[in-house]
Amino acid sequence: MAQQEPQRTIERELTMSRAMVEAIGHEMRENDDVFYMGEDVADYGGIFDSTEGLLDEFGYDRIMDVPISETAYLGAAVGAAQSGMRPIAELMFVDFFGVAMDQIYNQMAKNTYMSGGSVNVPMVLTAAVGGTYNDAAQHSQTLYGTFAHLPGMKVVVPSTAYDAKGLMHNAIRDDDPVVYMFHKRLMGIGWMPAPTGPKTPVPEDDYTIPFGSADVKREGSDVTIVTLGLHVHRALEAAESLAEDGISAEVIDLRTLVPLDTETVVDSVRTTGSLVVVDEDYRSFGVTGEIVASVADEALDDLDAVERVALPDVPIPYARPMEDEVIPDTDDIETAVQELE
Amino acid sequence: MSDTTDRVAVTADGEWTADVDEEEGIVVNWFASEGASVSEGDTLCEIQVEKVSIDILAPTDGTIAEIARREDDEFTIGDTLAWIESG
Repeated sequence: MAQQEPQRTIERELTMSRAMVEAIGHEMRENDDVFYMGEDVADYGGIFDSTEGLLDEFGYDRIMDVPISETAYLGAAVGAAQSGMRPIAELMFVDFFGVAMDQIYNQMAKNTYMSGGSVNVPMVLTAAVGGTYNDAAQHSQTLYGTFAHLPGMKVVVPSTAYDAKGLMHNAIRDDDPVVYMFHKRLMGIGWMPAPTGPKTPVPEDDYTIPFGSADVKREGSDVTIVTLGLHVHRALEAAESLAEDGISAEVIDLRTLVPLDTETVVDSVRTTGSLVVVDEDYRSFGVTGEIVASVADEALDDLDAVERVALPDVPIPYARPMEDEVIPDTDDIETAVQELE
Repeated sequence: MSDTTDRVAVTADGEWTADVDEEEGIVVNWFASEGASVSEGDTLCEIQVEKVSIDILAPTDGTIAEIARREDDEFTIGDTLAWIESG
């Protein structure tokens, strides 16, 4: 039997949501201190399937629906974490973080430091991020830069089912607060079809992916494309198309923003000499500028050309043609690469 | 055409049909591909009827010989979604 298991795990594929749920379920079975709280996470299973099926196994004490007060339940999660539990608290939309900004920025992120290390905050803040489905300016942001900016929180952004499971195991076991940002369009939901790519083979056993290890999703020699989340798949599609024009693009998936694996990016740029950073967050003061600056710090002489592809600094429009215009697509990435050459 | 005597149909059917009024649905996700070996009870695919997702489980041990309704394909309740070759 033991011989059969590995073979079967290779054959099975999971959507990103199921991979996340599998990791959460595993950790909850192993450790009674792990529990999940959030809006519509119990009976509904999470509006983006982030907790689908967990209520049946663990019941309402460990899969908790909460009142619509992010301040109250994120504060409760911080307190529970400081008391030795390992809460996972979900922001239904990352856009809602503002009403609980003090709990996130000042309590969750800083209490370890402020207490001189007498408490730590081993919690996971999960949050649905991203647009592309016409949900307007208050439900479509990624806010990667907003969370990665402030010291005290680790920031995780998976792009595939395999990565989502390994990163979730690592997030729950981490003794510091981890913000786990899952892109809605990668989850594999019926009404929001995922692109090809996020559904991958996933081992049934637990495994961890260390934070700060970017993943080269496609190897190439002419240009380095650095991205994360949904745009990993758009970059891979662009790379496929660029290959037909004889341009060999390397695609690096950052996987975590904090800690940031600049080494993998710099190593790639030393080979290609060209850097394109693609981000679904706003252009200013964000991921694109940070990556370009980090590479410039380490390898300015190797950097022949730079482009960044990100959202312009505008609220994300509701109307489909307008949203499609502002969110970078495959053509935008291709164009940015071609303009380098 | 081929000999189907050792093939078991995976059908879009189950107790859930009593709870829906619609006759048609859509295949959302396949978790196994043709040629994969599966065990009875494994989740093979996810279908959606009236916006509700339903997991379809393998009715028997075997190998997936053919997927008849692929992702995004529509089906009518009772349709064969795939064939499993037992053994």
